Amino acid sequence: MSRIVVESIPITGKTEVGPGCFILDVGRFSRLKFIRPGQFVHIGVPDSGLLFRRAFSVYDVDMERGFFSILFKVVGRGTHRLSQVKKNDTLDVLGPLGNGFKFPGKRETLILAAGGIGMPPIYFLAKRLVERNYDPDKVLFFYGAVSKSELVDVRRIKKLKTRIFLSTDDGSFGFKGFVTGVIKKAISERQEKFRIFACGPEGMLRVVDAMAHQNGIPGQFSLEAPMPCGLGICLGCIRPLAGGGYTRVCREGPVYDIGEVVL
Amino acid sequence: MKPDLSVEIAGVKFSNPVLTASGTCGYGEELADLFDLGRLGGIVTKSVTVQPRDGHPPPRTAETESGMLNAIGLANVGIDKFIEEKLSFLESYRTNVIVNVAGARLREYIEICSRLNDCLRADMVELNFSCPNVEWGMEIAKDALIAEKSVAAVKKVFSRPVIAKLSPNVSDIVLIARACEAGGADGLSLINTLVGMAVDIETYRPRLTNNTGGLSGPAIKPVALALIYQVYREVKIPIIGIGGIMNYADAVEFLLCGATAVQVGTGLFVKPDIPLEIISGLQKYLGKHKLKSVTDLVGKLRKY
Repeated sequence: MSRIVVESIPITGKTEVGPGCFILDVGRFSRLKFIRPGQFVHIGVPDSGLLFRRAFSVYDVDMERGFFSILFKVVGRGTHRLSQVKKNDTLDVLGPLGNGFKFPGKRETLILAAGGIGMPPIYFLAKRLVERNYDPDKVLFFYGAVSKSELVDVRRIKKLKTRIFLSTDDGSFGFKGFVTGVIKKAISERQEKFRIFACGPEGMLRVVDAMAHQNGIPGQFSLEAPMPCGLGICLGCIRPLAGGGYTRVCREGPVYDIGEVVL
Repeated sequence: MKPDLSVEIAGVKFSNPVLTASGTCGYGEELADLFDLGRLGGIVTKSVTVQPRDGHPPPRTAETESGMLNAIGLANVGIDKFIEEKLSFLESYRTNVIVNVAGARLREYIEICSRLNDCLRADMVELNFSCPNVEWGMEIAKDALIAEKSVAAVKKVFSRPVIAKLSPNVSDIVLIARACEAGGADGLSLINTLVGMAVDIETYRPRLTNNTGGLSGPAIKPVALALIYQVYREVKIPIIGIGGIMNYADAVEFLLCGATAVQVGTGLFVKPDIPLEIISGLQKYLGKHKLKSVTDLVGKLRKY
């Protein structure tokens, strides 16, 4: 595991990309080049009276300009306060934490499944795959959200030039229905060797997990859990393992193999 | 000259008075990714039981105002694996290792402590007489006679210092403290968590599967200080203070109330390198107040 640091570092950019959805660019992180897709950072919420940090998957790393980005949606007090920070404010960042996705071999067709605000680690994985010359035609990027306004920052994904399938639950943009339905259809139409990577709401992951299992498709998904410490010392963010016992999402996860965790 | 941060508890020397509290630092492995554990005064390991335990189902932590609730349920690897893997991991660090021990029956405390007696890396044991999250956890905590008998029995099988960790969830903590001292305890650590609860108003469910949990963090600091203040005047053995310590100033308050050393717990979840900040803060505080030793603060509370 790469070394973990705690650093106070400045916000170098903030963009509102959808209703209550924000991208924060955070600069001068000493471990920037070691962050792997699927890993997360644990960020202190400034001047909030909130004791615990909040965990965010790393959305993007810009090595040239020297910052990483997180993408989040305001859902509670922590994210609300974080939505109010300004450029040049400093954030207390602990990371990089957890395990990243295992990079696939080159011959498989990749199904990247992003649901709602679970999109960030999937984008970051896609970007690194393309940077490593993975054939973008073999990367099928599925991104679904409740409605059009929640499909955020699509331009960034499109720049990767992977195949992209957008969907909304209400049909306000792209395919109508759950992202899992779109994936199911794509799988049934193709005779290829697939591998799947997913992140999104738990209901979606449950379907992806079952679907992958049924079709013998290997892969991984990234889980979310409220995390007091992010390091594996509080034992708060546990999930049951399929083989019995518990796993710490922050330490053994947040990325798990298909079928590994009880969803 | 740099002020002296070292303290002594029951003949064991600590390089500084800042320890990590049981159940908040695992067995040290995770924190070792962040800093050299040798910089800590000591590390108190997660409660170990005879058999491994998975602990309670999730959710088992909840954030509350200035604090947190937890009901982990003594999840731990069990004494066999603890000795084989966890204690040997700690072998290479120059810090004191205090092994926190929990049991359902006195004979389990005795079994664990007699095995630990052969493990020299266990510099001390801390008896968990106070876990609020398991049914049997509170029995010893509440009954002075049982507490005395238990400490005495452990003292017979463990030749190095024995610390009793006390619960605040009792009607008279001084009574239990005195009983532990009478049983031969070499020190006391207080306080463990306060029983608390939080409710989700959408689902009508408690926010922990265990319904209630232990409250920790800054919210309990005033309670901890008051209890240490009471106990300090009634016992001769040293006290290790615990309860919501988040910075050096908090630590100084505990020392003034009578603690010889402190344990940081929930603070580690907020800032995992917080012990180092507290240690350097103490150093500066002592220098600023022209104090030669951190022990000059212990119990030096002034009267009105």
